Amino acid sequence: MLKFTRRAAIGGVMSVAVFAATQGCLTAQAHADGVHDVLNGLIASYSEHAKEGMSNKSVGELFEKDGFRDYLDAYPVGGLADGFVWKPGMGATFTGPYSKLEIKAPFTDYIPLPEGPVLDPKKTYKIGFVFHGFNHPWLISLADAAAWEAARHPNVEIEVIDAEFDDNKMGQVIDTWVAKKYDGIVLWPSREAPMGPPVDRAIDAGIPVVSVDRRTSSEKISSEVLGNFYANGLQEGLYLKEVLKAGNIVLNRKDLGSTADSIRTGAFLEVIGNVDGFNIQGNYHTNSQRTLAFQSTADALQAFNDISVSFNTGGEEAMGALDAIREAKRLNSAPDGKKIVILANDDAKEVLKEIADGNIDMVSPYTPLIGDIGIRAVIKHIGAKEGLNDAPPKLIMTPNLPMITKTKMVIEGVETMTPDEWPYAYGPAVN
Amino acid sequence: MTIIEEKSSINAAGGWAQMRFLPEIGDLSRIVVLGVLVVAGQILYPGFLSPENLRVVLTAVAGIGILAFGMTMVVITGEIDLSVAGVAVLSIVIGGLLLPTGSPALIIGATLLCGLCLGIVNGIFVAKLGVSSLISTLAMLGIASALANIFSAGQATYPEKIAEYMWFGRGALLGVPVPIFLLAVMALACVFMTRSSTFGRKLYATGGNARAALLSGIRIDRVKIVVFAFCGLCAAITGLIESARLGYINPAAFPGLELKVLAVTVLGGAALAGGTGSVFGTLVATLIIGVVNNLLNQMGVSFYMQQVVTALVILVVVVPGMRNRRFVK
Repeated sequence: MLKFTRRAAIGGVMSVAVFAATQGCLTAQAHADGVHDVLNGLIASYSEHAKEGMSNKSVGELFEKDGFRDYLDAYPVGGLADGFVWKPGMGATFTGPYSKLEIKAPFTDYIPLPEGPVLDPKKTYKIGFVFHGFNHPWLISLADAAAWEAARHPNVEIEVIDAEFDDNKMGQVIDTWVAKKYDGIVLWPSREAPMGPPVDRAIDAGIPVVSVDRRTSSEKISSEVLGNFYANGLQEGLYLKEVLKAGNIVLNRKDLGSTADSIRTGAFLEVIGNVDGFNIQGNYHTNSQRTLAFQSTADALQAFNDISVSFNTGGEEAMGALDAIREAKRLNSAPDGKKIVILANDDAKEVLKEIADGNIDMVSPYTPLIGDIGIRAVIKHIGAKEGLNDAPPKLIMTPNLPMITKTKMVIEGVETMTPDEWPYAYGPAVN
Repeated sequence: MTIIEEKSSINAAGGWAQMRFLPEIGDLSRIVVLGVLVVAGQILYPGFLSPENLRVVLTAVAGIGILAFGMTMVVITGEIDLSVAGVAVLSIVIGGLLLPTGSPALIIGATLLCGLCLGIVNGIFVAKLGVSSLISTLAMLGIASALANIFSAGQATYPEKIAEYMWFGRGALLGVPVPIFLLAVMALACVFMTRSSTFGRKLYATGGNARAALLSGIRIDRVKIVVFAFCGLCAAITGLIESARLGYINPAAFPGLELKVLAVTVLGGAALAGGTGSVFGTLVATLIIGVVNNLLNQMGVSFYMQQVVTALVILVVVVPGMRNRRFVK
C-alpha cells in the first residue's frame, strides 16, 4: 500500500496518479504531461518504503552509515509555482552570452516575464549575479541563462562575478553590492553555511536575494530555486531496477556531504534498497573529477572481475568511469558477458553522445539552464517590494526532467526520452 | 656545503667515463618501502602483480612521474616550480584551440612548444631578473590558468579524432602503453642527464652552492633556465598524456597538481634547499604513490582516507632521511 505522509506538497490526486502509474495504467502521453508530478509521487513512494526498512543488507548499511536519511528528509520536494506544467520542447533558443554556444533553455516559460522593460520602465534596476566557475561548462551555462534573461529587459543591468570557489570572495561581492544599493542579488553558492550571513545582511538592507540550484543557510532569503537532485537519483535507481535484477555496483560519488551526492546517491539507494540481488561492491568519492573517477574505476576493475553497474553522481564521473572501462576493454565484462550498465547525471552533450553510441546506458538530466529563473524571481521580488506585483514563492522547484536512454522506454510510468529528442544538452559539442 | 651535497657533486662529477645508473644508498630505503608495498599488495590481492594491474598502476602514474622528473631537476638547483598545473593546462588548451586545423604536427607541436616557452619565461624571471621562483612560478600558475580559461571560454574540447594526439594516452609501442613508454624513456634520459653528464654536475653544483658554482665558471643562470624549460616541457607532455587518456581537453584540469608533484619529488629524496635529489629516487617515489593509490582503491578506502595514508607514507619515508641529514650536518 502506498503512503504519502511525508510530503505535504504531494496530495491525494498525486497518490492516485502514482498508484496508477506503478500499475502501468497511465499512458505515455499522460506521463509526458506531468512528469514532474509522476516523479514526485515515485519519490514519495520509494521514500516511504525505504523508511519501513531495506531488505538489502549491503545497500541498507551504506545508507545508514552515510546518514542519507537526514539529508533526504531535509530536501524539499513539491509542486511547481503557479501550477506550471513542463513539457518537452518548451523553452527559448539563444546564443549563450559567455559560452557563445547555441542554447535551448527548458524553463524560460516558468515564472514568465515578457520581453521588454520590467516594473517601473523609467527606472534602471541593477542586479548582481555571483557564482563560481567561469571554467566549467555547467556553470558557464548557468551564467549564460542568467545574462540572457537580463538582456531581454532594457531597464535591467546585470553584473556577473565569478567568485572562483572562494566563499569569502562571494561574501565580499555581496557586501559590495549591498553598499552600492543594488536592487537585487542572485547567487549560486558553493556551500550552504558560509553564505548565510552575507545573504542575511543583504536582506536586512532591503535587497531581495535569490539562490539558484544550491542553498544557503539563510532563513531570510527571498527565494530558493531548487534543482531536481531527488529525481536524478531516483531515476538512476528506476532504470537499474528495470534492466537488472541483480549485480555488483561500483559507486562514483561527489564530495561527501554535498547536496548532489547526498540526495542523488540517497535517492538511488532508496530505490534499490529492497531489491536483494544488488551488492555495493565499491564506493568511491571522486569529487566531480574525471581523472579521479577514471583511476578509481580502473583500480576497481582490477579488484573485481564481476562488476555489473557503474553508478555515477555526475557526468564527469560517468565519462571518467567509461574511459577507464574502455581502456581496460571491459565494457562487456559483467557476468555472462553482459555490458556493464553505466548510470549518469548531467545532460552534457558529450554524455548524450555516449548514450546515442550505446556506451552510457542512461542519464538523468540536471540542467544548468536555470539562471534565468533566478533573474526573473528576483525581478518579481523587487516588484513586490515596490508594490507592483505579487512575490514569487520562497521555494521555487525546478521541474523534474525525464531520464534519457538510447531507445524509448516507459519505466514505472516515466517515459524516457532519446538523445535526439533532447535539445537542452549543454556544453560544447563533441566532434 | 653539507657532506651529502659534496657526495652528490662527486657523484655527478663522474662524467661520461663513469656511467652510474645504480641507485644511491638513500634510494634503497625507498626501494625497500616499494618492495614491502608490492609484497603486501600481492598477499592482499593475488592479482596485484598481474600484467594488467601493473599496466594500470604504471599508466596511472606516468604523467605525474614525468612531471616529477622535471620538478626534481628544478628542486636540485634550489628552486621550485609551482606553475606546472597552469603550464600543463594552458599547453593543452593551446593545442585544443588548434584542433580545427586537423594537423597533428601543429596541435602537438604547439602544445609542447607552449610548455617549453612558459618554462623558459619562468627561468628568465628566476635566473635573469632575480625573482624568487616561489613568487614568479606562483604568478605563472595564476596567469596560465586564467589564460587557459580565457582562450577556451571555459569550454572543453575533444581531440578524439586526432589519432596522433590520442596515441599519447591510448596508444602502444611494442605492446607497451605509450604513457609507460614515455615514462621509461624520460626516466632514462633524466638519469643520464643528472648522473652521467656535465650538465648534471652543473645542476648539483648550482643547487649545492650557487656562489661556488658561479666562481667555478658555471653559468648558473643558463642551468636554471634549462631546468625550468625542461620542467615546462614535462608539464606539457603530462598534459598531453592525461588529456589523451580521457579524450578531453579541460581548461579546469589538474587542480592541485603542483602539490602532488612536489610531494612525489620530496618523497623521492629531493631537498627543497637544493643540491640533493635523484631522478631514480623520484621514479621509485612515483611508483610508491601509484602502488599505494592502487591498493587503497582496490581495498575500497575512501578518497579522503587515501589522502591521509599517502601523506603518512611520505612522512614515514622522508622524515628518517631528514633526521639523518641533520645528523650528518
